[in-house]
Amino acid sequence: MGGSELREGGTGVLSAIVIVGPETREEEESCIAAGEAAATPPRVESQIQQGTPLVCVEVLGWSVIARLIDELRRAGVDMISMLGNDSGAPASAGIDSAAKIELGSREEAAQEVTGQVLTFKESGVEVILVVRAGAYVDIDLRDAFQFHREQGQAVTRAFDKEGPLDLWVIDPAWVSEGMDTLATLRAAEPVRYFVRGYVNRLEHPRDLRRLAVDGLTSRCGLRPQGSEIRPGVWMDEGAHVHRDARIVAPAFIGRGARIGEQCLITRCSNIESNSHVDYGTVVEDSSILPNSYVGIGLDLSHSIVDGNNLLNLERGVTVEIADPCVIRQNRVPQQEKNFQAPVAFGLGGEQLSPVEEGLR
Amino acid sequence: MLTSGPVVVMQLPEQLNLDGVRTFLPELEPLLECHRPRIVLDCSQVRYIDSAGVEMMLHCLEEAMKRDGDLKLAALSPESEVILELMRVARVFEAFASSDEAVRSFNAVPAEAVPQDAPWVANVFGEIGALKQAS
Repeated sequence: MGGSELREGGTGVLSAIVIVGPETREEEESCIAAGEAAATPPRVESQIQQGTPLVCVEVLGWSVIARLIDELRRAGVDMISMLGNDSGAPASAGIDSAAKIELGSREEAAQEVTGQVLTFKESGVEVILVVRAGAYVDIDLRDAFQFHREQGQAVTRAFDKEGPLDLWVIDPAWVSEGMDTLATLRAAEPVRYFVRGYVNRLEHPRDLRRLAVDGLTSRCGLRPQGSEIRPGVWMDEGAHVHRDARIVAPAFIGRGARIGEQCLITRCSNIESNSHVDYGTVVEDSSILPNSYVGIGLDLSHSIVDGNNLLNLERGVTVEIADPCVIRQNRVPQQEKNFQAPVAFGLGGEQLSPVEEGLR
Repeated sequence: MLTSGPVVVMQLPEQLNLDGVRTFLPELEPLLECHRPRIVLDCSQVRYIDSAGVEMMLHCLEEAMKRDGDLKLAALSPESEVILELMRVARVFEAFASSDEAVRSFNAVPAEAVPQDAPWVANVFGEIGALKQAS
């Protein structure tokens, strides 16, 4: 999200509610019943059946949700509440600064959103940004708030060329006690604010890979963490690349990641934090998610690796590899963990216990 | 075990891990000891394959090639293909959609592989003709 000082536009006290899961079928149905479905493209069924929401997965060093919270802070939003379940709450710097409220069911979420809006209302907040964190959106927040103010309506919703986004700017006065704010927002006929920037709906792990590629090739505002050690090659703190390894730009090596001897990292590949690519392995057009180990002499292409799950995007298949010599979840010290649950692709996936490095 | 003339089709087990290999390899090894063994490994039942399974396939291919034979794979699932590609061995094997196709490939006439539009004979005679003209 872009934008700097929101108050330059004349808006008063600002606040934001960021919701991370739980998303249910009932919500989809409520949208359809309200006639909103005509503008909503059919959602692609996510292959992720359990585990971390995609917005909480590290991409180029930081999750989308952490980037959003950080952007809101830098944009001068005074109060930020993050509603979400624990598995989706990564311990990232941007999120630590937001008030976190744990959610269980959809009903709890509905109550909490309304409760938070009413709390903000009592605090004298003039405008509330409600975001269901499910997509990466390059939006000029200042412009969106200004637009909302000029329209003089209670609810403004962000849209892009594919339809509505789960991002609203609302006046707190519009919300009353007992209201299911999220459902009402989805059903409402809002003023439409068109997002001109980059949007990635993050509905499928494939979108996560696309986001990494778009970030590395500067097609969106998502910038890799760390420093650009040479044109197109970013390395975060504590990353270690063997001198006989080759990194072909654009590429990203995350915090504490290790790239072994004779390895080749190429074609927009991103190796996220605390991952390890071992001797002689080629990583091409692939994402290795945090805390993953990729073994010796492998050829990884067009894939996402998360622990011992491998999603091949070219063939559209997920393989769970039980052989820890090939790929596995890396054991890392607790304080270095970037998210609590591994992402599971498809039905075959399961939550994994960390495997000792010494097993190989 | 299914046979089709001199080509032997072997069904790989569902679990091609160390246990699966221990059971399967004693059945396959005698077939590799003959002259020019021609083996097709039918992978249609394979649901799981690990490095032990891949190693066994490479070992069998090596043994077959030592005796001027070959080992081909049939009916690989996309998951198995991903594993073989990951381990850099996919290119080593000839793979076919079905066992029948794999068996037929053993009996194919080598001349079929030569492109019809560029016969080497024509090129050679063409060059000789050009030399004659030049002299």
